[in-house]
Amino acid sequence: MITAGLGLKPQHYDDALASDAVGLWFEVHPENYMSAGGPRLTALEKVRERRPLSLHGVGLSLAADADPDREHLAALRRLVDRFEPFVVSEHLAWSTHRGAHQPDLLPFPRTKAALARIAANIGRMQDALGRQMLVENPSLYLPLTGHDLDEVEFLKALVAKTGCGLLVDVNNVFVSASNLGYAPEAYLDAIPAGAIGEIHLAGHGADEGGSDLLIDTHGAPIAEPVWALYRRLIRRVGPRPTLIERDDDIPAFDILIAERDRAAAELAALEVQHA
Amino acid sequence: MPELLDFQDAFVAALAGAPSALSPWLAPGEGEAGLAVYRNTIAKGCVDALAANFPTVLSMVGEDWFRAAAALFAREAPPANAALLDYGEHFPAWLDRFPPALDLPYLAGIAHLDRLWTEALFAAEAPALIAEALSALAPEALARARLALHPSVRFAAFEAGLPSLWVAARDGAEDLDLSETSETLLLVRRDGSVRSRVIGAAETEFLRACRAGQTSAEAAERAALADPDVPLAPLFAALLADGVFGGLILETD
Repeated sequence: MITAGLGLKPQHYDDALASDAVGLWFEVHPENYMSAGGPRLTALEKVRERRPLSLHGVGLSLAADADPDREHLAALRRLVDRFEPFVVSEHLAWSTHRGAHQPDLLPFPRTKAALARIAANIGRMQDALGRQMLVENPSLYLPLTGHDLDEVEFLKALVAKTGCGLLVDVNNVFVSASNLGYAPEAYLDAIPAGAIGEIHLAGHGADEGGSDLLIDTHGAPIAEPVWALYRRLIRRVGPRPTLIERDDDIPAFDILIAERDRAAAELAALEVQHA
Repeated sequence: MPELLDFQDAFVAALAGAPSALSPWLAPGEGEAGLAVYRNTIAKGCVDALAANFPTVLSMVGEDWFRAAAALFAREAPPANAALLDYGEHFPAWLDRFPPALDLPYLAGIAHLDRLWTEALFAAEAPALIAEALSALAPEALARARLALHPSVRFAAFEAGLPSLWVAARDGAEDLDLSETSETLLLVRRDGSVRSRVIGAAETEFLRACRAGQTSAEAAERAALADPDVPLAPLFAALLADGVFGGLILETD
């Protein structure tokens, strides 16, 4: 059974292969494997022989006002065919603009026009891959105006229009709610359980620039309020594959496995309750 | 109306230092801290990618110099796509024109070698030609055959000893000397690792001939012309042992 997983980092390939954790799975950014060949692909192949894999895109730029890049989609398709991931996901954000790629997940006003464009882009992605994708809620840092829909309404509309699923990043909900001033509990409670295909957990930090903003750094252990929100979410919707993300200040594999085991224990406790 | 594109144009302008471009979507005075977060994340993503792709340049100029230069480069030449493992193709040429690097004339060459190392690492997979595959071949047939280079082979020739300098810096040597001997660096991926070897003029010409699709006899001739003192059989055996050949194309007519 797929329970709790870990983001796979190159420095942990050997540990990942050696681990005997039950139900462990791994997730990678496909962009880091978009090469013709080389040792990363070989290492991922070995891990995949032993473990389920998820491909979590960071660069398709679904919320750009442009069609998804064809070469990027083709490269993603090759990875999907080769590694047969159990889930493929992307972000509700944009990063490519007039030919330049900004390596970040950028915000936009959630208008009806944006909804139509992003639904079309998700449709193109799902057509190119021949499968369903999950879309992830972003971390937000700007009090933009001009929205026609709130974020959960927007995500629900994407699900209804495209048949995509949702990847709920609980840390992103916490960070955005803190930065923009709303209740994370109400946000999470509004997400339809049936649409949720995966959950992300990660750490955040204070803004080194000195503002009150929380930053989605993926560079720290998961905060206790985020664990509390996670428990609340899975008690309502039931168990979902849950990923521990760590992309900066990466500790030893065992330390990440300990966080992963905590998520696995939360999921197991749920099973007992429901039994 | 392309309102989403209008917003994205305004957002990019705001990132570049004109926050008023976002005024239809952001109240006056709001959002400076948030824009700074996006600016920092984008810059960090680009600079981290360049640091990963140009480790020898980084080790020679130090963290502060490198990150400042890389941030300027990223503003002028942002990544063209999301696969950052490929980012920095134009960084060596940019360093060559970068005024603060004028007193480091070897830096662009070092960056070029780092770039070739990355290309070798991520090149397509292919088996390397092994000596046994040639043993059944008559010498005349081998002479008329063409040797295709392995997809991961990269080499670059310099008028000075930059390749030795690069190898020494890569090995973590502290005292770095630049000799005036011309050298070529050969890079090839073998068993998942990129191997490097400093080679001379004869081997360089042999590889150039193979890359140009000439026969092995022509390649041997070019090698002998470049350096008549180099015995050709050991030269060929060494290149074969490096795994630089991807295949043998026999004469068909």
